[in-house]
Amino acid sequence: MHESLIIELLGMRVDLSVVLMLIVSCAVVFLIAKLATRKLSVENPGKMQNFMEWVIEFVQNQIAGTMDMKKGRPFVTLAVTLIMFIFVSNMLGLPFGIVIHPHSVAEATVFGHPILPAVEAFNAAAAAGTEAHVEVAIWKSPTADVTVAMTLAAIVFILVHFLGITKNTKAYFKHYFEPYPVFFPINLIEQFSSLLTHGMRLYGNIFAGEVLISVILKLAAVNVVGLIASIPLMMVWQGFSIFVGAIQAFVFTILALVYISQKIDTHEEH
Amino acid sequence: MDIVWSSTIITLIAFLILYWLLSRYAIGPLLSVMEKRRELVLSQLKEASTTRDEAAAYVTQQQEALQQARKEAYDIIEQSRQTSSKQADQMIAQAKDETARLKDEALRDIESEKNKAMAALRGEVGRVSVQIASKLIEKEIDEKTNEGLVDQYLKDVGTQS
Repeated sequence: MHESLIIELLGMRVDLSVVLMLIVSCAVVFLIAKLATRKLSVENPGKMQNFMEWVIEFVQNQIAGTMDMKKGRPFVTLAVTLIMFIFVSNMLGLPFGIVIHPHSVAEATVFGHPILPAVEAFNAAAAAGTEAHVEVAIWKSPTADVTVAMTLAAIVFILVHFLGITKNTKAYFKHYFEPYPVFFPINLIEQFSSLLTHGMRLYGNIFAGEVLISVILKLAAVNVVGLIASIPLMMVWQGFSIFVGAIQAFVFTILALVYISQKIDTHEEH
Repeated sequence: MDIVWSSTIITLIAFLILYWLLSRYAIGPLLSVMEKRRELVLSQLKEASTTRDEAAAYVTQQQEALQQARKEAYDIIEQSRQTSSKQADQMIAQAKDETARLKDEALRDIESEKNKAMAALRGEVGRVSVQIASKLIEKEIDEKTNEGLVDQYLKDVGTQS
C-alpha cells in the first residue's frame, strides 16, 4: 500500500502530496475556465466558450431540477466549481502516478524533513525484524485522499446548515421534530450520515479506482504473462475510472444541490 | 484511514480561492455574456415579430391599393365606354338631323324651282296666248292691260287643278 507524503511542518503534520495535487487541480480547473472565457463573445462564441457554456447550462439544468431557479441562481458558480474541481481531481490520478521508493529511514526525507508514515513503516519493520518495502505516493487524485473528500463534503454541509438557519430558520428547526418529536435523534443522525456518505462516496470510489490501478501495475511487474494481461485490464479499468470519476463529480454536485434545496425550501414535505 | 487536519484547512483554502478565481475571472463574465445573449435573442425575436407585423400590414395596404387601382381602371373603362356610346348616338342623331335638313332643303328647292318654273311658264303661256289671241281675232288688245286678266285666269286654273 502507498504511504502518504506526510511531513512535520511548524508543529503540524502536512500532507505534501495533497498540497501539490490541490494546487495542480486548482490550476488546471482555473486554466480551463480562463482559456474558455478568454475571448468572450455574445454573438460568435468559440469552441472553448461553447464547452464552458455547456457546463454551466448543464449545471443550471440540474439546479432547476432540484430547486426553484430563482433561489438556485447564487449556487451556479458553486456547483460549477464543485463539478469541475472534482472531475479534474478524479482525472488527475488516472494517466500516471508518481511513487517514490525510499530504501531506508535516511532516504525517506523530503526537503530535509522525514516522511512520517515511511519512517513509521521502517521502524515497525525493524521491530519485527523484516525487510520494509515502502512506497510513498506523490502524484495521485486529491479526491482519493479521505481528508480532501471529507472537507469538500464538510464545506457543503456547513453551507447547507448555514443557509437553513439563516434563510429558513423556522422550517429548519421544525424539520428536526418531524413527523414526531420522537424522531429527533434519527433526524440528527440523518444529517451527519448524509455528510459522511457524501464525502466517503467520493473518496471510496476514487481511492478504490487508484488502488486497482496500482494492483494492475503490480501484476504487470510480475512477469511477461502478467504484463500482457495487464494491458487490456488497464485499458478497461482506465476507461471505467474516467466514467466513475465523471459520475462521482456529477453525483457529488447533485447531492450538494439537493441538500441545499432541502434546506432552503422546506415548505413542502421531504 | 489517517486524517491529516492540516489538509482540511489547505483544501478549504484551495477551494475558496478556486471559487473566488472562477467567479471573478471565468464564470462571472461568462454568465453575464450568456445573459447578454439571452437579451439579444429576446430583442431579436421581438424585432422579428414587429417586422413581420409590419410586413403583414404592408401587404394589406398593397392589396387595398391594388383593389383601388383595379376599381379605378374599371371605372375609367366604363366611363369611356359610356362616353363613346353617347358620342356615337350623338353622331348618329346629328347625321339624321343633317339628312333631314338636306332633304327638307332639297324639297324646298324643288318646290321653289317648281314655282319659279310655273311662274315662268305661266308668263310665257299668257304672252303666247295673247299673241295667238291677237293674231286670231286680229283685234288689238293692249298686252299690258290684258296681262293681268290672263294672269288672273291662269291662277284660277292653277288653284282648281
